[in-house]
Amino acid sequence: MAVCIAVIAKENYPLYIRSVPVQNELKFHYTVHTSLDVVEEKISAVGKAMADQRELYLGLLYPTEDYKVYGYVTNSKVKFVIVADSSNTSLRDNEIRSMFRKLHNSFTDVMCNPFYNPGDTIQSKAFDSMVSAMMVQAS
Amino acid sequence: MSIPDYMQCAEDHQTVLVVVQPVGIVPEDEFFRIYKRITSVAQVSIRDSQRNLYIRYRHHYLPENNEWGDFQTHRKVVGLISVTTCGSAKEWPQTSDRFHCQKDVFGATLYDSRLLVFGLQGEIAEQQRTDVAFYPSYDDCPDVEKRVEDFVESIFIVLESKRLDRATDKSGDKIPLLCVPFEKKDFVGLDTDSRHYKKRCQGRMRKHVGDLCLQAGMLQDALVHYHMAVELLRSVNDFLWLGAALEGLCSASVIFHYPGGTAGKASGREPSLAHGQGQAADAGKRHRPGAQEVLIDPGALTANGISADTSSEIGRAKNCLGPEDIIEKYKEAISYYGKYKNAGVIELEACVKAVRVLAIQKRAMEASEFLQNAVYINLGQLSEEEKIQRYSILSELYHLIGFHRKSAFFKRVAAMQCVAPTIPEPGWRACYKLLLETLSGYSLCLDPKDFSKGSHRGWAAVQVRLLHELVYASRRMGNPGLSVRHLSFLLQTMLDLLSDQEKKEVTQSLENYTSKCPGGMEVLTLPDGLKLPPVPLSKLPIVRSVKLLDLPVSLRPHKQKGLLENNMSSKSPFIYSPIIMHTRGEERTKKIEFRWVQGDVCEVQLMVYNPMPFELRVEHMGLLTSGVEFEALPAALSLPAESGLYPVTLVGVPRTAGNINISGYHTSVFGVTSDCLLDGLPSVRTSGCVVEVIPSLPRLQLSTSLPRSAHPLRPSKEELSSSVSVQLFNGETQQLTITLENIGSEDLETLEVTSKTCNTKEKLFGEFLSWDLEEAVSQLPLKPGQSVTLTVNVKVRLDFSGGENLLQDLNDDGISVTGLPISSPLRQVLKPRAETKPLGSESSKTDYNHVKTLEAVMTFKYSGGAGKMEGYYRDLSLGVHVDVEPSVFFTRVSTLPATRTRQCHLLLDVFNSTEHELMVSANNNQDLVLHPSECQRMAIQVAKFDFHTLPQPDQEAVRYTNPKLLEEERLHAQASMISSTLGITWNIISFDGEASVEGVLNQLVLEHLQLAPLQWDVVVNGKPCDCDIIADCKVGDAVPLEVKLTNRSKNAVGPFALTVVPFQDYQNGVQNYDLQDAVTFIGSNTFYIDMVKPTENSACMGALLFLYTGDFYLNIKFQDDSAGQGKELPPSWFGLPSVHIKALEAPIEAGA
Repeated sequence: MAVCIAVIAKENYPLYIRSVPVQNELKFHYTVHTSLDVVEEKISAVGKAMADQRELYLGLLYPTEDYKVYGYVTNSKVKFVIVADSSNTSLRDNEIRSMFRKLHNSFTDVMCNPFYNPGDTIQSKAFDSMVSAMMVQAS
Repeated sequence: MSIPDYMQCAEDHQTVLVVVQPVGIVPEDEFFRIYKRITSVAQVSIRDSQRNLYIRYRHHYLPENNEWGDFQTHRKVVGLISVTTCGSAKEWPQTSDRFHCQKDVFGATLYDSRLLVFGLQGEIAEQQRTDVAFYPSYDDCPDVEKRVEDFVESIFIVLESKRLDRATDKSGDKIPLLCVPFEKKDFVGLDTDSRHYKKRCQGRMRKHVGDLCLQAGMLQDALVHYHMAVELLRSVNDFLWLGAALEGLCSASVIFHYPGGTAGKASGREPSLAHGQGQAADAGKRHRPGAQEVLIDPGALTANGISADTSSEIGRAKNCLGPEDIIEKYKEAISYYGKYKNAGVIELEACVKAVRVLAIQKRAMEASEFLQNAVYINLGQLSEEEKIQRYSILSELYHLIGFHRKSAFFKRVAAMQCVAPTIPEPGWRACYKLLLETLSGYSLCLDPKDFSKGSHRGWAAVQVRLLHELVYASRRMGNPGLSVRHLSFLLQTMLDLLSDQEKKEVTQSLENYTSKCPGGMEVLTLPDGLKLPPVPLSKLPIVRSVKLLDLPVSLRPHKQKGLLENNMSSKSPFIYSPIIMHTRGEERTKKIEFRWVQGDVCEVQLMVYNPMPFELRVEHMGLLTSGVEFEALPAALSLPAESGLYPVTLVGVPRTAGNINISGYHTSVFGVTSDCLLDGLPSVRTSGCVVEVIPSLPRLQLSTSLPRSAHPLRPSKEELSSSVSVQLFNGETQQLTITLENIGSEDLETLEVTSKTCNTKEKLFGEFLSWDLEEAVSQLPLKPGQSVTLTVNVKVRLDFSGGENLLQDLNDDGISVTGLPISSPLRQVLKPRAETKPLGSESSKTDYNHVKTLEAVMTFKYSGGAGKMEGYYRDLSLGVHVDVEPSVFFTRVSTLPATRTRQCHLLLDVFNSTEHELMVSANNNQDLVLHPSECQRMAIQVAKFDFHTLPQPDQEAVRYTNPKLLEEERLHAQASMISSTLGITWNIISFDGEASVEGVLNQLVLEHLQLAPLQWDVVVNGKPCDCDIIADCKVGDAVPLEVKLTNRSKNAVGPFALTVVPFQDYQNGVQNYDLQDAVTFIGSNTFYIDMVKPTENSACMGALLFLYTGDFYLNIKFQDDSAGQGKELPPSWFGLPSVHIKALEAPIEAGA
């Protein structure tokens, strides 16, 4: 399960970021922020190849000592980043994919809300609860 | 070998290492000057070959690293240049010894060495040596470069010989085993004769030769040797050396593919080194043109097999690796290095080199993998300085591959490392410098202008953290000015993102810092040239709108009418155009209708609010202006927490005339002064910021003797500067003293006073306000501080009668106003009689008791000083509000003919509507005392009026005015004449006033009061005769009777026939007309008067003879034949007096 989930706007500022160990939130901010370099690099690399049919899932962006960072980019260049604990070896690539898909669906719901201004931080409760369900329960 | 050289790059493999070191005491700057000159010789072209030698200079090199020289020959120090100062020949031997000592440090590896001696004058004690050069001073050494070149050539000779020596080693000879320092003990007791060992020796030697070839500029040979070394070492699983061979292969290929070098922009490198590298790169380009196009065929190698014969020409670039392969081989090499803990530095350096190559290839992803790997290479216990260096270089490399965020992250880590708690002397300066460099990575620009557009977008949490760190670092650096600037920036740009608690903390620390160093608007320049633009705190408080206020009504300047037209500047040639030139941007620069006056306090209203969760104290809030010299009077304000919109008025005094532009405002919050320009604040609404300031005008202050009015005038169409109110009884006159004081700084030169009555519903008689300006004007010009007084008479005369029903109420005695003169003697005794009839009901009483108001505005138009020259003046208006209480009024008016034809009685029903007893008096009449709410009739005998004597309106005016108006005017003039003649006044204890009949006079009454245009004069016995005059005559004497007609009408009248009828009145209602016996006419009793033209007169004479004594009356009648004429004229024109003649006994008769 994820320890941190972030949604990043096309212009690379965070729309939503949540992490489980709340006390060290800034660390995840840094992790996600630096992962954007890789995301951008991957997008530009893929973009050259085939712009239309690219895979939204970017795979593992980079591993750190404690965490693995996965990325996903929608067609509108909104990025999803999931940070998972490296020690959690049971996590399969497929599970990560499905998490991203769920995240994407929920994000689409948020965007469909007529009261949501694209570009604002996400404050939807439904989205929040969905993200909570994907997070590791801090216990 | 523990200290990695992070600056290494692949092409360093082809360089030879030369150490340049000072010996003895050499001033540092002098040494580096020489060092710089030496390093300029980075590439030497060898004379009789096509080859180049590249030199890498170091002024500091660990001998420990030198021990790895066999492993990679570019790590080997092959040359030593020592720089020394030698003052005298005596010191020379000592210096020479030192040089030799130094030589011994690198002794094992040195090919050659040089000593540069500076400062030795005169004779040189020893014989000329090739390895020593003497220079008189550091400034006088023209051939240093030349000497270095010679030196390099000598190195090359050694190198070349070594290369040839090693390369031509026969396989049969015993090849020594080259090894790295940590391996030495491993090989103790190893079987040196084994095939395995031999192969290892062979492989290692091949690799070594490859290195030498590369250094000697024989790239192709190097490639071949490396390939062979790889094959040999792979077969014996000598991984460390295999890695080295692979890396050598990569280096050679990189050198071949990228002659421009892989060091990139050399941003962080030592300048001297970069210089050398740059030259080398240039030279490389020159010498290997078209290297990129060469076809690479690594497969050719296997086809050729491993051949010892390097002399055989192998096709150019055949053995060279392709770009993809380079990376593969680097990976492989690094993985082999990774097997050895002691080769960490080598591994790390290889990673760095690979990253540089990948950066050139623009393969960021793979580069990042290398870097990721490099991060985890453990070099054992690192000193703090090394850590900083390592993080910095990681940051630099990430930057190189375009990972700016990662770069910023590592730079920040490096910055934090600079001030780690374990460091005894934290380098806050370095930390601050590094933090500044991270700003771009976090897309943060320290110019607040970038944030003025819309809401903040970015990694707020990270940015806030960074700013906090900048603040802290700058504070510890001992530069509170910077802390203040960064904190202001944090507050200004991140305000919306801070929590209430954070806001409190930030502002508290800001206040702390500003107590030491107040924040200002100047641009801070850092030592490295970075400029920190000023941060105006435009959000503390937030200004929503800016509105320029007009001057108060009394101070507004007005333009003279005539001059206004000249001033009409039209941008367009059309008088009217439907196309309105309107753009959004114009709004701000739009000029405002009103004007300000130089020297007068002007106001601008701002709507502000406080976004902070606590009370905000703003000090020195003032206006910023341009165009006109302006003295801003700053204000201090305190805004409550999270206040709503709050109006703030900023004031200032323009000191010169012209167009003033309100460009912004100035505040001082938490000790930070900021100049907020409106141009930079798109959210501020304004209706224009440019206003014209006109030259100064005098200023008048008005004070009056009457109390100020509590309520404003009802039709408040125009704003008044002040107003007074007074309560008066109708007809009362009050004096109002107005004092005008010049409180300005200019002389008052002109003063005009006008007045205007506001409500015209009430009919007003006479002049309401009257004054005499002469005296006041004579005192002009009025100096500042002086004052002038003006007395205004307030006189109220209103019509309070006006109720028809009242007229009827009192119309009880049936006195009719008839046109015919009633010359009854009865009327003589008519007296004013008490009218005791009370008014009908209470309600009707109040009806007549109501207070009427009268309002007028007095306008004082004044000017002076420079403003007058420009045609401006000021208005001061004084509202005069008078509540008029009814005093007495005439409920009814009628006339009774008097006994004389030229007079009549005016009957007035006077009503006292006050609650006081009052006394009414009129000219030549007795006083009449009226109790409250009492109505009495009053009769006044008046001479009829000759309205012709009234001044006629001049013809010019008549022509243009409405005839109705003219008529009204005439009536008014007549009425006022009557009123003044009557002079009716009333008196209540201390008040007195006039009562006017003007309102109650109707046409009919007027007609009666008017002298008829036809004047009839009857003269009896040569004496004019009227009704109440008794003419005496003697019986028996002829009494001459003359009737004279004066025509004052506009038309000719007549002819008339008059008959004189005598009669006797017995005073008992019986009149005796049968007097043929008593009176005879001498001549006809009928008079004929011919037509009388206007302004002419005509008279006819007759005579009477009285035969008896007695009282006789003569009735002069018109005969019927003239009635036709008479009918056309009003009957009142024919008012002829009846003549009363008393015939007395003649004295003769008495005697008889």
